[in-house]
Amino acid sequence: MGVQGLAGTSSEGRPTPRPERIAILAGGVCTPIGQDVDAFWSALLTGADGISRIERFPVDDLRVGNGGEIKKLTRAIEWSRVPDCRASRLLVSAADDLLSQAGARPLPVAPERLAVVVGTALGGVEEGERALAGDVGRLPRALYDAPAHALKRWLGARGPAITVATACASGATAMGIGAELLRRGEADMVVAGGYDGLCRFVLRGFNGLRSLTRDKIRPFDRRRSGLLLGEAAGLVLLCREPDAGARRLGTLLGYGSASDAAHIAAPDPEGRGIERAMQGALAQAGVDAGDVDFVSAHGTATTLNDASEAKALRRVLGARLVPVNSIKGAIGHTMGAAAALEAILCLLAGRHGQVPATLGLEELDPACDLDLIRGAPRALRPRVSLSTSLGFGGCNAALVLQGAA
Amino acid sequence: MRGPAIRAIGLMTGWGVGAVAVPPDAVAAAGERRVLALDRPALDPERFRRSPRECVLGVAAVAAMLEDAGEGPEAIAGEDTGFVFVTAAAYAASNRQHIEPRGSNVYFPYTAPAAISGEVAIEYGIRGPYGILIGGPTAGVDAVAHAAEMLEAGTCRRVLVLGVEIFEECADLYDRAGGLDGPLVEAACGLWLEAGEGALTLSRGRGRRGSADGARRRLGEMLACEPLAALALHRASGRPGPVEIHAAWRGETTSLRWSHAPYRARRRAA
Repeated sequence: MGVQGLAGTSSEGRPTPRPERIAILAGGVCTPIGQDVDAFWSALLTGADGISRIERFPVDDLRVGNGGEIKKLTRAIEWSRVPDCRASRLLVSAADDLLSQAGARPLPVAPERLAVVVGTALGGVEEGERALAGDVGRLPRALYDAPAHALKRWLGARGPAITVATACASGATAMGIGAELLRRGEADMVVAGGYDGLCRFVLRGFNGLRSLTRDKIRPFDRRRSGLLLGEAAGLVLLCREPDAGARRLGTLLGYGSASDAAHIAAPDPEGRGIERAMQGALAQAGVDAGDVDFVSAHGTATTLNDASEAKALRRVLGARLVPVNSIKGAIGHTMGAAAALEAILCLLAGRHGQVPATLGLEELDPACDLDLIRGAPRALRPRVSLSTSLGFGGCNAALVLQGAA
Repeated sequence: MRGPAIRAIGLMTGWGVGAVAVPPDAVAAAGERRVLALDRPALDPERFRRSPRECVLGVAAVAAMLEDAGEGPEAIAGEDTGFVFVTAAAYAASNRQHIEPRGSNVYFPYTAPAAISGEVAIEYGIRGPYGILIGGPTAGVDAVAHAAEMLEAGTCRRVLVLGVEIFEECADLYDRAGGLDGPLVEAACGLWLEAGEGALTLSRGRGRRGSADGARRRLGEMLACEPLAALALHRASGRPGPVEIHAAWRGETTSLRWSHAPYRARRRAA
């Protein structure tokens, strides 16, 4: 493990070496507002709304049938090489963009040294739905780790393929574990990130929980009334910092995670779990909260999430006003993909010197008294960004990222 | 990486409680039985009224682990305990129940793999660093390696590695899908890891070679629980010295080797 000074102290009080920093060479996306990084970024800046009536499966019997649906996968991919599985195809679409952004097909690494680590909340569950409806040939793809292996085959990778399922924090956890694989020398490059597709399984579930809004998604707004789901995939290409050239998107400085141990479906109202995850990520990064220039919040627009997250952010960041946004108003809550997309957003903001506004936020909730970016993009070139993620089961994860200079 | 010590193991399988219940040959012992099921543990019915069987099994396996350690729940509560949960398919029963409800429907959040570990974290107050891996036996090995990394990084003092697999509710689907050989043996296994000595080496390859020491032949198909249960068998064998665990899944193999005997002496609860 490369050592770059001391990161802090362990839980036993001994000094701990700071882990080697991990370069993020490129990102790739497949989202309702763009199927490549450039289109995604432009759409975020212009305030594009990716929410629509879901058309791919019946929703008329559901209380809410809107979401961030991708109407058509538009990339020129030889789809016959990819299983007829929505989740796998979202992943491959994002991977195709990743290769374009990296400027390398195939990636410049021996197949045995290329790993895949992807996070998901739903895995191949839609395949299970379709199998139980009679298409039994889909059963082998119903396990949650099947799409990761489909991506691995498409990439021609022969290194480890790991699936993470920390619910809606999965994309962040995948990036953290991908960095771990690199640090212990198990791979020289890792394709890491997350994905999830929309399907009746999840729409019915969230409708049953009454978590979905009939209004717009309004993160941190006084009138917020719930989330809408979206489908997407977001991937980054990681390598050890000394192996990266000058061309890169940024650096993964730190990752932290923590369990709430509070509730199966709701965050700790005080946000103590996400606070610990943020502190862990900052400690691993070796940066102080005062160094954070921008926060990409989880910001789902549920009453409880936004209030608890705001409390945690205030405790971590102190009295200093740090710009914050949430992109869920534009694309919905993309579950396993969310954290990876938000990490890419942080790095693109560093590259372009602008941060997208929080679509749907009009009247800031006084209980969420953060410096939320609203109305229009803000001219800001964050050097160090913090990204937060929370999920069912009390999963919390945070990333500290640095944009390329 | 530094090899973690194994402070305690709690193993429950369709064969019974602990390594002592595991037969010498799973196929012979199973006879005509396709699934060796675990009963739903008799825990507080009000507290766990909505929890599916896989969640309660996870809680019970940790209770067995604590008994093995001779400790109470307070020993793993708090921010100094990390948690890595691993499964290939424990969520499948709840997923199926949500897709085709039979009688009472499952509370939707319990369809997530994270609900199993979430229920365990709530029950024992585990608030440290957290990971959930999905996959077969190789994911079980990855879970131990991830836990070892947590300890080496100093982010916690101990890590609970928990595996849960159940099959009964979806046995017909596994048969139709094919690919799983031998008796399907339900299992829940908790490992208590803490900082240890020596080295832990992880190696990867391709192929179908499973537990080289015969653990698979004894255990039957336990998916992600296989390597955790194999450690329980190894400890019970009383063989000193290094430990090697091999796992195979989807054409990948992963092996884990401790350079020394990792087991800490057990203290029995009073």
